[in-house]
Amino acid sequence: MKSLRNSFAFILMTVPMALLFFYFHTWPALHGIFLSFTDWNGFGPYHFIGLQNYMDLLHDKQIRHAYVFTFEFAIVTTILVNIVSLLIALALNAKIKLSRTFRAVFFLPYVLSTLIVSFIFNYLFSNLIPNIAQALHLPALAQNILGTQWAWVGIVIVSVWQGASFNTLLYLAGLQTIPEDVYEASNIDGASAWVTFWRITFPLIMPFFTINMVLAAKSYLQVFDQVVGMTNGGPGTATQSNTFVIYTNGFGGGELAYQSANAVVFLIILVCVALIQVRLTRGREVQF
Amino acid sequence: MFGRTKTNWVAMIFLSIGSLCILFPIYMAIMVSLKNPQELAQSVLGFPTQIHWGNFQQAMAVTHYFHTFLNSLFITFFAVVLTVLTHSMVAYAIARNMQKRFFRYLYNYFFAAMFVPFPILMLPLVRQMSHLGLADRVGLIILYIIYGISQNVFLYVGYLKSVPLELEEAALVDGANRWRIFWSVVFPLMAPMNATVAILTGLWAWNDFLLPLVMLSNPNQYTLPLVQYAFQSQYSTNYSLAFASYLLALLPMVIVYIFCQKWIVNNVTKGAIK
Amino acid sequence: MKRYLGFTSATVVATLVLATGCGSSTNTTSNNGSSAGESGNNGQKVTLEFLQNKPEVVNEWNSLIKRFEQQNPNIQVKQINPPNTDTTLQADLAKGQVPDIVAMGADATFIQMAKNGVFKDLSGSPELQKVSKAYVNMLENEVGKPTPYAIPYTVNAVPIIYNVDLFNKYHLTIPKTWNQLMSEAQKIKQEGGTPFYNGFKDAWTIAPIWNALSTNTEGPNFLKDLAAGKTTFVKSDAIAANQLRQFTALGQPNQFGVDYNDANSAFANGKSVFYAQGIWTLPVIRSDNPKIQLGTFVVPVTNDPSQIKMVSGVDSLLAVANSGNASKEAAAMKFIDFLLQSKTAGQYATVAGLFSTVKGVKNTDPALAPLQPYINSGRVVDFDDHYYPAAMAAGNQYESVLQGALSKNQSSSQLLQQLDSLYQSAAAHQ
Repeated sequence: MKSLRNSFAFILMTVPMALLFFYFHTWPALHGIFLSFTDWNGFGPYHFIGLQNYMDLLHDKQIRHAYVFTFEFAIVTTILVNIVSLLIALALNAKIKLSRTFRAVFFLPYVLSTLIVSFIFNYLFSNLIPNIAQALHLPALAQNILGTQWAWVGIVIVSVWQGASFNTLLYLAGLQTIPEDVYEASNIDGASAWVTFWRITFPLIMPFFTINMVLAAKSYLQVFDQVVGMTNGGPGTATQSNTFVIYTNGFGGGELAYQSANAVVFLIILVCVALIQVRLTRGREVQF
Repeated sequence: MFGRTKTNWVAMIFLSIGSLCILFPIYMAIMVSLKNPQELAQSVLGFPTQIHWGNFQQAMAVTHYFHTFLNSLFITFFAVVLTVLTHSMVAYAIARNMQKRFFRYLYNYFFAAMFVPFPILMLPLVRQMSHLGLADRVGLIILYIIYGISQNVFLYVGYLKSVPLELEEAALVDGANRWRIFWSVVFPLMAPMNATVAILTGLWAWNDFLLPLVMLSNPNQYTLPLVQYAFQSQYSTNYSLAFASYLLALLPMVIVYIFCQKWIVNNVTKGAIK
Repeated sequence: MKRYLGFTSATVVATLVLATGCGSSTNTTSNNGSSAGESGNNGQKVTLEFLQNKPEVVNEWNSLIKRFEQQNPNIQVKQINPPNTDTTLQADLAKGQVPDIVAMGADATFIQMAKNGVFKDLSGSPELQKVSKAYVNMLENEVGKPTPYAIPYTVNAVPIIYNVDLFNKYHLTIPKTWNQLMSEAQKIKQEGGTPFYNGFKDAWTIAPIWNALSTNTEGPNFLKDLAAGKTTFVKSDAIAANQLRQFTALGQPNQFGVDYNDANSAFANGKSVFYAQGIWTLPVIRSDNPKIQLGTFVVPVTNDPSQIKMVSGVDSLLAVANSGNASKEAAAMKFIDFLLQSKTAGQYATVAGLFSTVKGVKNTDPALAPLQPYINSGRVVDFDDHYYPAAMAAGNQYESVLQGALSKNQSSSQLLQQLDSLYQSAAAHQ
């Protein structure tokens, strides 16, 4: 009797939330999959057109380019963010003065709105740098990087500037789990700092490395705010991320059904990426 | 890589340069916001000869700052409180019943949803929410609660593994029911993770742009980031006004951060290690 | 650990205190919101949502609205000016929440909405008699039905704007042909000046000059033939694409890194002699530099001046949503009547730098005088992009193609091929 009441309590704790989750998350997702087989433009009637949208996706250069940009951006940014934040975390974990001040500074970007940060960097790239370069007669730098084929670099810079803080936090947490005597032992052996890092530190924070990679990849594959804040996808389609294309063409261009098909493909790809990441890291106990 | 015995100057120099990189754009933003357009045309980075607080006043008036601020606060506050209350409960039920198939499946369901990209549900969701009359602030709160489940249940379940069962069992023997046990024993024990979840949810709801962008159609309900986007084209080339507005939008979180920096950092770290 | 717990509980208490304080204050705002909504329903006061797509004239609209509200205390008009009107409107459509009145360009989004019955059919309403018939017809043509879904309010034009002082400094004369324009621009460049200033970081700023070039060179049946599959951009727009590339080569070096606002202000401050933009920029330029002397001339697209037409489209039309709420629709028509009064129409057209469609209302700006004869004699042609499929014209799609091709300095045929493939895929997803 008691155990029955017990499990009833547990059911009551979870089932309402699970139903809400289904209704507000899974249901619209299923609806999106359903729409991807139609020709609906957002209003008015629609017809089933089978796999037509998916066939069209294959030939759509804009969307293919959006995938290429999204992946290139996500890979470059994920790697850079992890290198930068690991370096910062190592430095913060070393014996330094002003350590609390430094920490406060490096974690600050984490609490700022990505969109507004992107607006600020947009001004920096569009106005400040070209004006200074012009004053110094450096024509090479007088170009706004966001108006050139290097626009993606600008978006990477913003993302690293802001994204490094959270990953630094996680790495630092990882580094602090390593007891001091491990380093001392290594010192006595006469190992150089470089060797100590690769032999001892890095393997010990490996789980944090993995989780950082997974989290960073997940958020950068869905990059949106930075694109809106800095380039609006330009020049041309150079910096249109897939989320950006789904939003602008799905709503703005009346391609609701077509972009739903694109989103379904995006889902499949992301699940594959996740599976690969999980497989690569299997066996390591990762906790977050 | 960085030595641990004496003060490490290599690390110090590296961190100093890094700090400059972090602070420079913020410094620039402050300098721009304090000048009038004429002074800005002469120098962006120099100190203003006369500080123009008027930019801030004007920005507040243009963006209905306090109203917008309260919108953001309303959304963030309820998202955080309800998230912590409900997700801890869901996670508790799951964590204590992992041996049962239903709860294991539920956990995997939530976990798998973490990999579903938002764009796939974005288009139908907007329609669904407005049919329900929820394309507003309340709807946003609901969505923040719903879409945070995956990550938060994951965090809570991980944490609950380390919370000993003895206290609960003792309470159970004393005749307390599950609800009481949860609220009076388990929930307080999870305080550090509650804090982590609260911070993560709070920062997300406060700074989010895409969800308010697609959900809110009434400008009266706009959040701080969304208002910056909406007014961006109206600032034209009055960058001082625009930057004053940006800084005002960033300010509340920065103030919270300055006062609770240690607490925020500690708790996000807690979430990370376990 | 203990200290840590102490700290947490202290902060928890602090946040709770903060939170309760905030909670009560937010409650008041939500109450405000709902009470405003209710007062709209009880018949006393009608609140109209008014969406307009021109950030340059937000203040002007606010002052017109204020005047209207003083005359009509029972009607409240709320202006909405979202940054990407296309996307916002279509998202609103998907939600089934369209603003009560819309003032927007006669663009693809409008056409799509009109075709789908979003707007009220205004056939027979007396307001139509107050405005120029030609532009009422233009809107009907765009929608492709002889039904007036909107009232044309202002009309724009795409000329080349010039800085009179610099124009005289280089001893130029008004160019009558494309070759003259190009040789004058070359001359300016050789003497170390900048002929054209472009704000191509915002892709849409390429649209005005593109429309001027393409409509004058692709032949009158291009759009029909394109829709019928009888021609392509590659076949018909080679001249326009070449001219666009010539034009871009004479722009400032950083033209893809400067946005619309910065370009306006740079031109206002004498950074270039010419500026190829719509006439709606004139007031913006003057507000950046009140002392500037401006002139305009029609883009001399071809080498036969007698053939040149000026691109001119409906800049703002007024459309009323089919809300099913009679009191709202009546209030909306009242607002439109107010806007069509010659005093209001003249004031708005002057501030916005546009031509009014209201009969008897003239824009007195001397800088626009050279364009007036084209309007009067009907030597105008509508924007091409108003007839492109929605998925090509909305959300800056085709402008992005132009921007991409020009910034990468691709050949004319590469540029046109991309327009064709965009057209194909856009037409397929209608």
